[in-house]
Amino acid sequence: MNSCNGSVLRANILFVFFILFSLVGATANAQNFDFGKLGSRSRAYMVVIDMQIEVSFGINTSDQEERYLGTIVTEEGLVIFDGTDIASDNMFSSFSGLTVKTTPTKIEISTLDGISYDGELLGYDRFTKVGFIKILAEENEKFSPVKFNKHHEFRTGEWLALFMLMPEFVTPPLAADIGMVSNLVEAPEPFPLTVGFNSMQLASVLFNESLEAVGILGSLMDPSSGSADGGALMGSFGSGMPMLGVITGERIEELIADPPTEGEIERGWLGISLQALTQDIAEFWQLDLAGGIIVNEIIRNSPADKGGLKVGDIIFEVNGQPVEVDREEKIAVFQRMIANFGPDAAIELEVMRLDQGSSDSTKILINLEKAPISPTEAPDFKEEKLELTVRDLVFADYMIYNLDSEDFKGVVVSGLTLGGPASIGGLLIGDVIQRIGPIEIESVDDARKVLGEISTEQPREVIFFIWRRNQTMFVNVKPTWN
Amino acid sequence: MSKSLKIFLIITVAVAATAAAAAPLPIQDQIFKARDKVMPAVVHIQPVIKNYNTGELEKQAVVGSGVIFHIDGYVVTNYHVAGKAERILCTLGDKEIVSAEFIGGDPPTDIAVIKLNLDEHKGSIVVADFGNSDSIQVGQYVLAMGSPLSLSRSVSAGVISTRDRYFSPDVRLPTGERTGRYNLWIQTDAAINPGNSGGPLVDLSGRIVGINSRATIFANNLGFAIPINVVREVTEEIIRNGKVERSWIGLHCQALMELEDYFGTQRNTGVLISSIDPGSPADQSYLKAGDIILKVNDQEVSARFVEELPKFYYLISRFKPGEKINLEVLRGSETYTFGVVTKSLGDLQGEDFEAKGWGFSVKGITRQMKVENQLDDTVGVYLIGVKRVGFIEDGGLFRSDVIKAVNKTKITGLSAFTDLYKQLTDEGVEKILLTIKRGGGTRFIVVTVDKDGEEELNE
Repeated sequence: MNSCNGSVLRANILFVFFILFSLVGATANAQNFDFGKLGSRSRAYMVVIDMQIEVSFGINTSDQEERYLGTIVTEEGLVIFDGTDIASDNMFSSFSGLTVKTTPTKIEISTLDGISYDGELLGYDRFTKVGFIKILAEENEKFSPVKFNKHHEFRTGEWLALFMLMPEFVTPPLAADIGMVSNLVEAPEPFPLTVGFNSMQLASVLFNESLEAVGILGSLMDPSSGSADGGALMGSFGSGMPMLGVITGERIEELIADPPTEGEIERGWLGISLQALTQDIAEFWQLDLAGGIIVNEIIRNSPADKGGLKVGDIIFEVNGQPVEVDREEKIAVFQRMIANFGPDAAIELEVMRLDQGSSDSTKILINLEKAPISPTEAPDFKEEKLELTVRDLVFADYMIYNLDSEDFKGVVVSGLTLGGPASIGGLLIGDVIQRIGPIEIESVDDARKVLGEISTEQPREVIFFIWRRNQTMFVNVKPTWN
Repeated sequence: MSKSLKIFLIITVAVAATAAAAAPLPIQDQIFKARDKVMPAVVHIQPVIKNYNTGELEKQAVVGSGVIFHIDGYVVTNYHVAGKAERILCTLGDKEIVSAEFIGGDPPTDIAVIKLNLDEHKGSIVVADFGNSDSIQVGQYVLAMGSPLSLSRSVSAGVISTRDRYFSPDVRLPTGERTGRYNLWIQTDAAINPGNSGGPLVDLSGRIVGINSRATIFANNLGFAIPINVVREVTEEIIRNGKVERSWIGLHCQALMELEDYFGTQRNTGVLISSIDPGSPADQSYLKAGDIILKVNDQEVSARFVEELPKFYYLISRFKPGEKINLEVLRGSETYTFGVVTKSLGDLQGEDFEAKGWGFSVKGITRQMKVENQLDDTVGVYLIGVKRVGFIEDGGLFRSDVIKAVNKTKITGLSAFTDLYKQLTDEGVEKILLTIKRGGGTRFIVVTVDKDGEEELNE
């Protein structure tokens, strides 16, 4: 009886399947997600983030309201989201003198059950652009975080699903979407590429058909950006279209275990400007290497300098691991390897030193340090009466303008109000202030002190001595003190 | 009142009286008279200029104006008209066409001299007279003559709008040189359009008071001419030496007007040093930005307004290169005297060269290019254009990269580069390795040689 019923049932199912099969035609392995189940499971850790962001771009400041889909990843209430907006670490800002600075001024986090919390931005990861927020809850309050499957093996053709955030006027706020793994990219780094998703969905949790969280949506890093290392600044311009894919559970767990503090995750820094040893160049130098890193420039007093690395050295092993960088696109792999060692690591480089034709291999020991800050991260100070914002000179400024960091000091004009006293007086974004009145200015702290005294004394005019486009000049600013 | 001044006044009055007695010609007749004196000497110039900015040698036919100022057939025009000319054709006032050769040019004043090949010309030429640009007055009638938009033999009329217009010396000629450091400009509302460049600005006595050089796009009747007194000196020197020799000490100065309180100086006293080029004679003589130059040798100098700066730069430029000059400067409340040994300003830009098979063009690096571009030295060649971006490898080559080596050979300068280019091309190499400097960093770039380019070269 049972078996009979069973076979009838099976026949019905087969029939149903047959019909489905005919209808969908060629898409033989259509996706098979139970979105009802997925929705109720993920409800506990999906949150909506409402963020007010102050964006200053050169002389303009505006307030933006942004909404993101966030995911709770720890019991203590750590939330990840797409940090692209706040990570607008514009590599060209130093060229133009315009710094884009994004500062979240208010963060509200709402669960899908309608409970709201205040949040605090911890920072973002420079490589993945994943942003981290801490929910400011009662100390003993526990959250239900997502758990990633760290061992999922991706295959081309596999379906993935995610939830995305709908515009504010739509209720309920989430909608499902599906996409497919389109390619398992090997270089510049292992990365399952996807089709069917879009960049509005970045940082959404991706689920496989077993409804496991297997990663989040990310984009393949452009090797020419993503780090303040010299190579990135000197390198080629980025490609246009973002290639979306999976930041795997394994990678995310690493980030979660060591979330950024004071703005971002601390990473190791070598202090060189670098280039890939392509096959072409290797042939010219008659080197039998499957790639490497050519050291093009060494930053004074950087770890590379202190460790004794020389311009022209070719790094072909790090801690015994071969560096097979034979294309510019692969530089990111090397940069990430160095970064991931962390700021206090000691590493051993095997380098080829091309001295008068003979190629010798040398071992060099280097103690990595913390990466220098970018223009947008530099400490700054706004003088309200002069309507002037200045920031510290950073590594990138010295690189781009070919300046000597020992001799050349000052603060960079990073913000001006059009029509304000500093602007009318003739200061421009990107000017480097070297003296205010007779006093030498070497840092934002100096500027803050001097400008503070000036605002007490309220003189009729303030004379700035500045550097602009390889020349110095005096600029007379007449403040309006009332 | 001194006796001599009284006499001068009397004479002036007397001259004025005679003029009045003679009853001046109606303005229309004065214009006709001036026209007849100068128009036959105005030349329509059609140079073919060489442009390397796109990475390959491009020849462009351009049009400008000029005026014959010497019976031997010398014509003055703008450097930006004839400075890079490969060959020049001139249409004279009698509509006859003769060729001309380039004699010399001076980018800082945008003046060039060409010489007509008079043996190609039947008949005589007319020479126009230079006037005195120091005695012109604002509001005085002037005529502009030349070939606006290639419309030759055109006259427009207006007045002198101002006689001491200052332009920042950051303004560059199309060939890249900074221009206008040593002179002020005459501004006129006589219509000046592209093509008028190099033509004369004429007063009603039929004397040239300026050479029309610039117009303002998106504006009406804002034309600018180089004062003829500047032109006279420059052209004489070009005819004599083929170029203008200037001395250089590496100073940049700023008007003191808004800074007198800060520096505690009297009005019309001193010239403020705002910037010193690294490695320049001024740098080596311990002058500093913020010093105020009171005297050059024993001559008092001042620049309270920007309009007074060119005069000071001119004064410095006229010393012989290598000559020691004494600068008395005010620093704080002390005065010091520094001796500065001048150097030759030299060429602002180097010679151009097209590395045809390699797909880019370069120029030699002059001292002034080093200073302007914050280069470490003058060693290497400066990249001015890349022909085929996609053709050159990863990282690419960019304008303003400096090529320091080709393969293993260090490039000392343009001639070393051209020699090596010819040698490697003859050897038929397929790839070259460039060592370039970009900003503070070095890069290595492999270039695949374009054989077609070479074949063309060898033809």
